[in-house]
Parts: sequence; structure tokens; C-alpha cells
Amino acid sequence: MAQKRLTLQETVDQELGRRSFLKLAGIGVVASAIAALPAEIVEAAENFTTKKKFRYGMTIDLKRCVNCEACTAACKLENKTPPGVTYNPVIEEEVGEFPDVQRRWFPRPCFHCEKPPCIDVCPVGATYKREEDGIVLVDHDKCIGAGDCIPACPYGARIFDEGKNYPAQETEYGNIPSPEFHSKYGLREKAKAPIGNARKCTFCLHLQDASGQYTRPTACAETCMGKAIHFGDFLTGRCIGHGCNLNELITHRKWTRLKEELGTEPNVYYLL
Amino acid sequence: MKLNRRKFLKLSGAGLLGVGTLTKTAQALAQEEMLKGPYDKDEWIPSCCNMCGGQTGILCQVVGGRLFRIKPNPHNPIGFSNISDDFFANAAKEGAVMCPKGNAGIMALYDADRLKQPLRRTNSKKGIGVDPRWKAISWEEAYTEIVDRLKKLRDGGEAHKLLWFSEDHSFTHPQGDFCKLFGTPNYSMHSNLCDTGRKASFKILMGDERPLIDALNSKYMLIFGWNPLSATKFSHLPRIITRGRERGAKLVIVDPHFSYTASRADEWVPIRPATDGALALALAHVILRDNLQDQPFIDEWTVGFDQFKEYVKDKTPQWAEVITTVPAERIERLAKEFATTKPALVDVWSGTHHTNGVYAGWAIGALAAITGNIEKPGTLVLPNAKGGKHIEVEPDAVAAKTLKEPRLDGGKDKWPYFHKSGVYMEIINRLVDGKGPYQPKMAMIVFQNLLMSVAGTKNAEKALKNLEFVVVVDTMLSETAEFADIVVPGTTYLERYDLNTHWVTWPAVGLRQPVVKPLFGQPAEYEFVSELGRRLGLKEANGNDVFWVGRTSGERIEDKKRWYEEWLSRELKEGEPKITLEELKALPGATWVSPNGTKYHKHLDPVPGDKLKDALIEGNLAFSKKKDGTKDKPMGMLKADGTAIHGFFTPSGKLELYAAKHVGKKDAAGHDLAPLPVYEPREWQPSQEYPLFLINWKEASQTHSRTQNNAFLAELKATDGLRINAKTAVKFGIQDKDWVWVESPYGKIKMRAELTEGIHPEVVGTQHGWGHWAMGKIAKGRGAHTGFLAKTIACPLSGQSLNKEICVRVSRA
Repeated sequence: MAQKRLTLQETVDQELGRRSFLKLAGIGVVASAIAALPAEIVEAAENFTTKKKFRYGMTIDLKRCVNCEACTAACKLENKTPPGVTYNPVIEEEVGEFPDVQRRWFPRPCFHCEKPPCIDVCPVGATYKREEDGIVLVDHDKCIGAGDCIPACPYGARIFDEGKNYPAQETEYGNIPSPEFHSKYGLREKAKAPIGNARKCTFCLHLQDASGQYTRPTACAETCMGKAIHFGDFLTGRCIGHGCNLNELITHRKWTRLKEELGTEPNVYYLL
Repeated sequence: MKLNRRKFLKLSGAGLLGVGTLTKTAQALAQEEMLKGPYDKDEWIPSCCNMCGGQTGILCQVVGGRLFRIKPNPHNPIGFSNISDDFFANAAKEGAVMCPKGNAGIMALYDADRLKQPLRRTNSKKGIGVDPRWKAISWEEAYTEIVDRLKKLRDGGEAHKLLWFSEDHSFTHPQGDFCKLFGTPNYSMHSNLCDTGRKASFKILMGDERPLIDALNSKYMLIFGWNPLSATKFSHLPRIITRGRERGAKLVIVDPHFSYTASRADEWVPIRPATDGALALALAHVILRDNLQDQPFIDEWTVGFDQFKEYVKDKTPQWAEVITTVPAERIERLAKEFATTKPALVDVWSGTHHTNGVYAGWAIGALAAITGNIEKPGTLVLPNAKGGKHIEVEPDAVAAKTLKEPRLDGGKDKWPYFHKSGVYMEIINRLVDGKGPYQPKMAMIVFQNLLMSVAGTKNAEKALKNLEFVVVVDTMLSETAEFADIVVPGTTYLERYDLNTHWVTWPAVGLRQPVVKPLFGQPAEYEFVSELGRRLGLKEANGNDVFWVGRTSGERIEDKKRWYEEWLSRELKEGEPKITLEELKALPGATWVSPNGTKYHKHLDPVPGDKLKDALIEGNLAFSKKKDGTKDKPMGMLKADGTAIHGFFTPSGKLELYAAKHVGKKDAAGHDLAPLPVYEPREWQPSQEYPLFLINWKEASQTHSRTQNNAFLAELKATDGLRINAKTAVKFGIQDKDWVWVESPYGKIKMRAELTEGIHPEVVGTQHGWGHWAMGKIAKGRGAHTGFLAKTIACPLSGQSLNKEICVRVSRA
């Protein structure tokens, strides 16, 4: 008895389609608000697309991703994020009926959208997209923890740092700074940024050299067990550390981006 | 989800931070400045992971004496590929990988619940949930008491009454040597909880214990009872298997549970537990019925084909459908696909933890033999796993006397495919019933959590209570440590040395080295063992003070770390790498990789004439000789012209579809050994009272029962419930997330039901390793431990523990 296999289009629709993602991430309310995003906000976002030296982004090959969550753990190790602050989780769902069942998943970093809907909602201008390389950041010197950006992201990629700590914080681990922003915020201390702020994936910005080039891939891409996550620059196609070309991949492979209909233009492409 | 601003401010207690600093550009510029830091200028120390037994190559960045980051080591093949061409051509370009556990290693090192100093129990009563009432003691007190106990045993001629349990891939040589020089035959280690069943299956078929899959070059992968994309002990598996699929291979997973591997596969074949042997035989039936076999290969390289063919004659797909629940027409199709797609590979791992397991594994391996899918690119390949050489020690007369005592588990006299790791289940049963050849008095338990790993937890409890003195060495106060009289803190893999012979298809040795000093000033385990040896005055037969004398300098060395460095240096020098420890450290990634890469068709290799000259010849087979001139290891098969080729190291030199040596022999349970890979229903079958099969599995997020206190890993997956097919759940009135009782004749545990479509309707299951009641604040109280429901039983051929052979009933709690 042959199992029913979904066609490619069905996989695209179901695996990465809006309904399925919303159900998974439990952020349906948020997303419907975003769907009604005023046109001027989208236009404003377009201004960020000029003067670029790099357009950093990712391709994530869903045929290679095995849901090991090494990317999730590597991100925690690299950025020393606290409990509950996870920049790159793997979203998973089960569909179908025994024995014709399928389980689908995808890692979800910040997509560093070309038109990020998280920026203009910030009341203090703490969140911004860098002109030179497109990376979307939170400026923790400015962030007041207003939290408007969190529901504004239709992908759930922003997380509030409630100030929780792992038990290891009381050991030597507590004396290790996060390399995020080149340890600008020093050791993790109560009531000190980024505690009380919105946090998000920075594409491991601290791994850039002075010229804005990466010397090694982002932690999630580097550790990836299936070598599914390729990180690099879409202006040249250069992939950091995996010896492939991102633009060739999206030219030759079928791909999708999450919630394309919102016009956010994510810089993360899921290869199908 | 949505929080208004006030609530956010209240939550964070940081309301005033940043308010009014609206000079965006200046801030952004300041931030730019910070991005030019020295983050890649610090040293990355190459080492090997040990979050599991896979030994992935890692690079560790240490800043100010603290571990800062860990990343994959691209010079070490284990994290990239098991095939040398792929590794040499692509590893530098693509980079290696690391699993989530490897990335969480920092949390193992800095675990707040780590044991920091030796402890002595003050409560003489022992049991699950009994507080040992620990009292901190000095290292001197710990050594004195342990050595005193050991000395009494040895002086009283009872050295064999010491049991030693250890991990199977960390500092095993000094521990094994200690046991030998002390005089106990009872050194056992983890492997018999893992793959000694599989080892036996392939030993029967091909005389090699551990063939590996060449997934990269395969066109068809038929995998039984294995979850290699998630239970990724060898961290290259996800890469090579997904690459194999990319290059056109079909991946078929036979498993009662819809594992992550099954989810990523082209086809999931749900099967009734412990019937994999029947499915393999039916596949063979179709292949031979339709004449799809590789007859020239069979004629040249197998024995017993006629008997095998006769045996599978009535093992029709219809016969198998009744047993396995896999539809007959699907079996027909799979057989044809497998036999006509070349190259194809077939494999099985711990799905065979059941009483028919060794035969099932053999039947599965036979599919490779009859289709000629062995030792070719894209098939099952015999690895050349040469690495460091264990320098054997010679026990003195005192030790030699007690070494003549039988092992408590009966050893190779009892178990036809006994593995040197011993038989934990038998040891536990004999400790409980006292019916062994003698009753042991003392146990040294090094990084083994028997309470969580032995089938039949209550028996493990009784067994440990029946010992007079128990010493546990561990980084955590595990469930087993709670039974210790003295517990001493061990080291994590980031604080100690080891040599790792890597499981790729060609020789490679990776170095594990201390990247930080032991956090609490504790000795590494080899130093601990050496200290015991020194205090006991253990010597070799020739008077050599082996625990004092450096193995390269021959000098007495006070510093035990330096002493062990010489130990490793000698193992390297006399092993395959032929380099010193310092030379290994200086190699890129501290990994020695043989330039003579993966070799296929090794059975056709000629045996060198000079080796053959000294061989012992029996029939057409050549063997090497032991020192005393008796038969040692197989060497090859003689040809008519007097030369010899390697062949397979079975009694016939060929792949055995029929094992003549089984005739007239018995297994440990007293049953006749079958000369064919027979299917017999496993012993423990569902009944009216206990109608469901209970299985367990491993996933990427945890290793066995030892990583559940890891904060990062607990965040990836907080626990596991009882997975139950949604339709089965309806039958038992169970809804998703209900608390349920899971009961067997041996015990009862409470679990959270997780309804799924991804499990066979007759089966419930869970990820192994949860249900700790000790170990640490994080691990405690998450999930449930199925060991309470299991029977303490070993495979009667191999001694493999049968933790997956359980039947239960499930009801709402």
C-alpha cells in the first residue's frame, strides 16, 4: 500500500502556508492586525533598501533540515540568551491520519525583512534596519520595553526578555558576557539592558569584521547538522562558510518565503 | 501575547531605561564601534565532544579561563562524513556540524547542580527516595576509605567480588587495567545497554561487529528500528543521509513510531514491535521467489544459501502481514524496489532490543547479502576503525588467582555472543537472587546511572542494596549516586583527556583535551583510578609500578596528569597514528586522519605473504597466532594458488546465511541456537490485561538518561509524555494531555498522554531518559521512567538489555 505523498504545491501551501503557521505559532491575532498594515508604513520601510553594501540573509533547505534543533541550541550558546529568549526555534506540526501522517517543521530565525513591520511601531525609534547590510536590530540603549514590536512581527521573531536566568547564572557562567553587540551590555545584571527589552536574532552581528564581512557563519548556520541553513549575502550570492551560492540556490530551487502576502519581503528563503 | 506598555514596564522593572535617548544616529554609530571587538582573536582549542558517545570534533574558545564558545571542528571527520573522499574534498569548504547536545555542552560544564566534593552517606538505609544524609568529606578521607575497602577484598582473596561499571568510550583502558591488576574479572561497561544485539547479528552474518552505512552513495536506504536523523550519535548522519536523498536515494523507515527520521523519509512503514525479523524474511522470500537476488555474489560469497532459501519459502508476504501488520502488497513492492535499485543499503540498530532481536538483525543483514549490497559504495561497509593501541598489562600472581573466577554474569561460557561490556541485566539479577557463583561485595560505578538505564528499576534498587559498599563517580548526584556509600565528583569532557577512535569507515583518531581546569579542583577519572592503584600498590607481574611509571619515559611520575599524557602518547605511538600526544595536539583540529581513506571490497584484498607465512591454517582459513601459538584472529581465506584473500571473518570466511557453528549449541536461556535467522514471536506479548506494546526511543535533544539536567536541552524539549495513537486513545477513553496510569506487572507510572497519528495503534511510547527523581533541579520531576515497568531481561544470545520489550495497560489517572 503506497502512502499518499503531497505534491510540491500542496507541501508549500500546507507546510509554509499562513494558516498552518498561525496555528502553530499561536499568533493569529497578531497577524490579522498586520494584514491591515497601513500602506505608508510599508512605503517607509522601502526607504531602508538604499545604500546597501550587503544584503544578508539565509536559505534554509527544508529537505535537509532534520529538526534536530542544533540551530536553536547553537544560538543560545553563541548569544548566551536567557531562558525563554530563543531567537531561532524550530516550528513543528503533525498533519494527516495514521498511517498517512506527516510531520513538518522549519527553523524560524528573524527574517530581517526588506520591509520590516516591526520598526515603525516602536515609540522610541529603538528598532531599526541597517542601511549597509539590512540587518534589523534593537538598540538596547533606547528600548524602553514598550513591546509594540513584538506583536508587530508577523513571524513571532521578537521576544521579551523578562530577566529570567538559568541556574548556571550563579556559577562561572554568570561571569561570561554575551558576545552579542560585542558584549556592549557586559554581564547580565538585573534591571540592566537587555533585560526588560525586546530581543531578537541579530544574524550574529558580532561575527562581522570592521568591513562588515563575516569571518564565520552565524552560529545556527555553522552548526546545522544537515547543512540546511546557508547564511550569506544576496547582493553577491556569497555564502559564508558552506561553499555555495545563495542566488544560485534560489534560482535553481523552488522556494517560498513566509507570508509573502504581507509584503514584508523576508530575507530568508525556504528551499523546498 | 499582546502586552500593553504599562504591563511591559512593570514586568521589566526597567521603565526608565533608555527613555529620552532618541539620538538614533549617534547611538547607531556607537554601536558600530562596538562591533569591531576582538572576538575571533582568542584561541580555539580543538577537542572532542562527549555529550554522547559520538565524540564529535569541537573547537572550544576559552577566555580568561572560562569556556566562552564551542563550535564544530572541521578537521575531524565524525562531524562531517564517514566516507573519506567526501571528507577530504568538502569538509574544509562546507564546515563540520555539531548537534544540539554539543552546543549545550557549556551548560553541562557550568551546571549549578554539579557535585563539587566527595560525600559520605550517614544514613545506612538505602532505597529509592531515601535521603542518604550526605556529609561532605575531604579527598583524603574518601581515598582512605575506598582504598581500605578495596585492600580488604584483595588481601582476603576476594578481589573478584568487586564489580566495576563504566562508560564505554571514556578512559576505559585505565579502568579495565585497574580491574585486571586488582584481580576482578567483573569489569563491565555501557555497550550492552546499546548495541551488543546488533553486534551479534552482524558478527554471525559477516564476522564484523559494526558495519556502517555509506548513505552518501546509496540509491535506496531501507532502515529498520533506527532513528539516525534524530538519535544522531554519529553527527555526520543527518548530512550524509539527506545528501544521499538529494542524490536520488529513496529512504524507507520501518519503525512502530513515526520518528523524525521517518518524518523526513520517503516512506514510513509502521510495524508491530519485534516483528522486523518476519518482515525481513518476507522481503527475502519475494526477492528469491522472483529471482531478484545477486546470484553470482551469493555463489561466491555466502554459505547456506540453499538452507536459507528453503527457510524463507513459506515466509510469504501474506504470512508476514499477519505478524507485522504491514500489508502484503506493500512488502511485495518494497522487496522489488530494494532488490532492483543499486546500490542499496539495509541496516538496523536498537529496534532489535527484543528477544528475537539478534535473529531479526541477522535476517535484515541477510537482505544485504542476497542482493550483493555489501562492501560496495552505497551499501553496508565494514569500517577500518584502527586507532590507539591498548597496551595490555600483566596481572601479578595475587590478581591472577581471582581473575580465574568466573564473571558474575557468566561471561562467554554462558552467552554465545558475549561482548566484553558484560551483561548488566544478569549482574543485577544475580545480585538480587544471590544465585551467582559468588555474591559480590563492592561496586565502583563510574558515570553509569543503573537506576535509570537498567530494565527493571526495582531490581536495580534491590541489587545495589545487596552490595556492602558502593562508590559512585559522577558529575551529578544521580539516582544511582543516592545508593553510594561514597560519591566523588567526576569531570566533564571539557576538563579531561581521552583518545577517540572515530566511527567513520577509515582510521581517524581525535583528541579530547582539558579546555578548562576541573572546576572544583577534582582529579580527572584516570587520575582517580591511578591514585587508587598507587595507594594499593598494584603492580604488573614483572613488578612494574604501572600507575606510577610513565609509559614513554619509563620514569616514576608524581603528577598524574603527566603520567596519563604519557599513557596516551604510548597508545598513539603503538597504534595506527604512530605519533606522540604532542604531535597529535599539533595536528589541525588535534585529529589524526589516515590518508589511506575509505576502502571498499576489502574481502578481496590479498593477505600479505609475510603475514601468511606465520599463519595458523585450518581448512582453507588462515588465522594469526597468539604468543603461545594458539589460534588468535582470522586473517583470510586460502586460494588454490596458495595465496590468500581477506574474506569475511566468519567461520567459513564468507557471509553466513546459515551458521553451522550454532548447531548443537545453546543460548543463555537454554534454548537451542538456531542456525538460520529465524523469526519467533518475542517472549512478552500483549495480553488482555496488558494489551499495548510500550517502546522507547532516543531523540537529538537528549543522551540516554544523563543530560536531562541541561538547561539548554530542557528548553528545547521540556519533557515527553506517553505518545498514543489517537484512535487507540479513544478506545481507552483518553484525551490529549490527560494524566494516565501506565501499568505493567512490574510497576506503575503516571504520564501525560500525547495523542498522535504517528504511532502504531497497538503501541504506546516515549523518549527514553525522563522521569528523574534526583540528578538536579532541572531534571527532577519531568516525565516518567519506563524502567519501572520493564522486566530485567537480557537477550539470551548477546546479553543485550531488552529495555523495549514491555507490555502495558493505560488508563486515565
